[in-house]
Formats: sequence, C-alpha cells, structure tokens
Amino acid sequence: MKRPINKSTRGCDDPRLDYKDLETLAKYLSPQGEIHARRRTGYCAKCQRQLKQAIKRARHMGLLAFVGQ
Amino acid sequence: MNLYEGMFLLDNNVVREDWNKAKGIPVGVLEKHGASIKTSRRWAERSLAYTIQKSNRGTYLLVHFEADPDSIQIMRRDLELNETVMRYLILRAEEVPEGEQELHEAELSTDFSVPEPPEDHVVDSDAGEETGDLDIDGVSYDGEYSSNPAPKEADTAEETKEETPAEAVTESTEEKTEAPASEEA
Repeated sequence: MKRPINKSTRGCDDPRLDYKDLETLAKYLSPQGEIHARRRTGYCAKCQRQLKQAIKRARHMGLLAFVGQ
Repeated sequence: MNLYEGMFLLDNNVVREDWNKAKGIPVGVLEKHGASIKTSRRWAERSLAYTIQKSNRGTYLLVHFEADPDSIQIMRRDLELNETVMRYLILRAEEVPEGEQELHEAELSTDFSVPEPPEDHVVDSDAGEETGDLDIDGVSYDGEYSSNPAPKEADTAEETKEETPAEAVTESTEEKTEAPASEEA
C-alpha cells in the first residue's frame, strides 16, 4: 500500500504552494511525473487542488515534465 | 487596477545578444497596454523539462505589475504573437513578495552583469545544421565516451585474454586431429 508521505501532516494547514517552488512540488510527483493521490500526499481536497494547479502551472512553463524525467 | 505577477520564458538566442533588450520585449508589451511595472528581474536560466520551440534552455523573467483587468486579454494576444516570449504566465498577486524589490534594484544597478547562458544543444536536425554539426557532435560524443571508456576497455581486455587461450586450444586440437590423420595415411 502506498503510505502517506507524512501522516502527521493530515489536516494540512495552508501549504501555500507556489509553481516556482520546484523542490516542494517535486516531493509530490512520482518518478514518471505523475501527481501523487490525496491518500499519498495526505492533503485535504482544497490543498490538493492547489497542488494540482501549481504543478500544472510549472509544467506549462517548462519547469516540470509532463511525462518521464 | 490590479496587481499581477507575470513570468515569461524568453528565447536564449535573444538573451545572449543583450539581456536588457530581451527583457524589454515583454515589459514593452505590458507597458504598451497601460501597465505600471513594479519589479522585473531575471528569475533563472535553466534547462527546460521538455523542448519548447526547438529550444532546450531558456531564461525566465519575473515581473510584478499593476494593470487594468480588461487590458490583460490584449496583452495575452500580443504575447502569443511574440516569438521571443516562448511561454508566459500571468496571475493575480496579493502583494509584491518580500525581497523582490531589492532583487529588482540589484539588477538595475551598474554592477549587475548577466551570466552568459550556455549553448543550447539543439535536438532538431535542421537547426543543428545551421549552428554547425561538428560542435554538437563533439560535445555529445564527449559525453558518451567519457562515461563509457573504462568498462569498454575492460571488456576488450577480457575478450582478448579469453581469445588467446581459446585460439591456442583450437590450434592444438587441429594439430591433434591432423596428426592421427597423417599417421593413418
């Protein structure tokens, strides 16, 4: 089973994800560049949406890959 | 008037000529449509995660500006048509982040010099011919051979070692086979 990265962060309090913060975003991506599921990130629905948005913005700007590494 | 954050991915070919000229292209588009620039600075020069307009590297420009919401759409159209701006992203911003103003001023000072962006290793074959195939080939071969020579040499050394006894064995067996044949004759 894919365990959450850190269970204690469940109830994520405002992670303030920015598309320029690539080090943080990379933590929530698989080696193939897929966004981790909520059960893996431990994020609430709202924060997961922010994460999705930030990663997609970074991909558009050529900062993150759409697929592969 | 709203505050916006804009990031622009600029073509390194233009950046290599003159950074201020390259910077002026998207900034000029913004100002043309009534934006007032708060800060603008070189964010990074980095290799792209995937090829964009046949480029593998690009320079990012980060701008904070105030503009009329209606003018953003016209800016977008102008930026789409601009070939120097390979990608752009315009977002609403609450405030100019801390430290951004200082970085902006640091870039304006006379001491600031833009590091020369490294050569773009073009994957596309047509563009490769224009820039000179020899250089690109030389660099790529360097990369390949530098990582491989040790194991390759080791392999060949082992092979030669293996070959010599094997040849000797075959020769000796041939002699043996020949020898009885001659006896029989």
